[in-house]
Amino acid sequence: MSTEGHSGGREDDQVLVAEYALGLLEGGERAALARRMVSEPSLASDLRLWRSRLATLDDEFAEVAAPAGALARLEARLFGVAAPGGWWNSLALWRGLTASAAAVAVIAVGVNLMQPRVDPNMLATQLVAAIQSQEGSGVEFVALYDQASGEVRITSLKGTPVADKDFELWYIKGDQPAVSMGVVPIDQRMEIPLDAAAKANIEPGTVLAVTLEQKGGSPTGVAQGPIVAVGTVTPI
Amino acid sequence: MSSTMSPEIADLIARCALRDRAAFRDLYTRTSAKLFGVTLRILKDRSEAEEALQEVYVKIWQRADRYVAGGYSPISWLVAVARNHSLDVLRARKPVSDDIDLVLDLADGGPDPEQATIDSSERTRIDGCLDELESDKADCVRGAYLDGFSYEELAARHSVPLNTMRTWLRRSLLKLRECLKA
Repeated sequence: MSTEGHSGGREDDQVLVAEYALGLLEGGERAALARRMVSEPSLASDLRLWRSRLATLDDEFAEVAAPAGALARLEARLFGVAAPGGWWNSLALWRGLTASAAAVAVIAVGVNLMQPRVDPNMLATQLVAAIQSQEGSGVEFVALYDQASGEVRITSLKGTPVADKDFELWYIKGDQPAVSMGVVPIDQRMEIPLDAAAKANIEPGTVLAVTLEQKGGSPTGVAQGPIVAVGTVTPI
Repeated sequence: MSSTMSPEIADLIARCALRDRAAFRDLYTRTSAKLFGVTLRILKDRSEAEEALQEVYVKIWQRADRYVAGGYSPISWLVAVARNHSLDVLRARKPVSDDIDLVLDLADGGPDPEQATIDSSERTRIDGCLDELESDKADCVRGAYLDGFSYEELAARHSVPLNTMRTWLRRSLLKLRECLKA
């Protein structure tokens, strides 16, 4: 058997994925395998295996203090300290946000179909956000915003209450600070009437997040606890 | 870098996705030494490594929203961004190549939470499996992963013809895979 041709045998594929994970494939061969991974789940799952195992070698990268001044240069570049507004013009950023909104739309519609309490006739006038669990928090919500009634209906899908804590819902539009929409319950549905500011700001691309806060919610109006779930508002 | 700090790092990445600049600064302070270690080891040139470090954190800020509910350790994700970028620079590719984006997405957001949990909780250390290979072959795997050596460089370093190196390493990778899956 030739080891040169990568003719597509199972062993050849296994080696290719390993070479890919190590960074040994270049150019067309690398791009071709990346494309195949999209349609062949077994290759993608093999890549996950290699990446997670190889990552145990990460300990061998010795820490080296980053050069002084590097952070300041980075922040100036990212946040446009010297030239306010530069950050807003970052095309790459906006492209990134748009792409992620599209990805969430797929999940959101999927979640929605499994939600018998949602009236399908109303969907045309609504926005949805699948607020997905962060880092194993096991907390998930789906939020539906009915522009006609001006209410957000938030339904908890997964999660358990935490003693002496409350879950608080926030919206984040663009680069602006998170704004509280109040404390939300686990294991039940709730309607939240929106004020004028929230109505103006909740639109496709706005991010909804749930944090774990002290009882009654953050007293300062600024999120203090860990983020347990995040999702992007998407039209349906 | 201890695994106990992972939940905090994951939270900082999530806050970056919410455009929290203070969280970004905190994330940089905690992780830049590790990531500079990665870019420096692969690029082996201080000024190139610093430039790469900047690009890496720009990517982290811009792509923080892609690290969600993964199961992939947050430090590993950051190291992967740094390592992939360094390899791109090393191989004189364009700074952002679509296939790398694609694979990061596959690894981070795969619809396979069960598998991800197994990967993180019962993760086999690769060291034990590398020990089962002949030492020069294990060195090749380490050299490719940690130093970004190409087949050509590995062949030169071990003074064997290129095709011999390919055959060696491919056989070793198959053996390694069997051990890792066991």
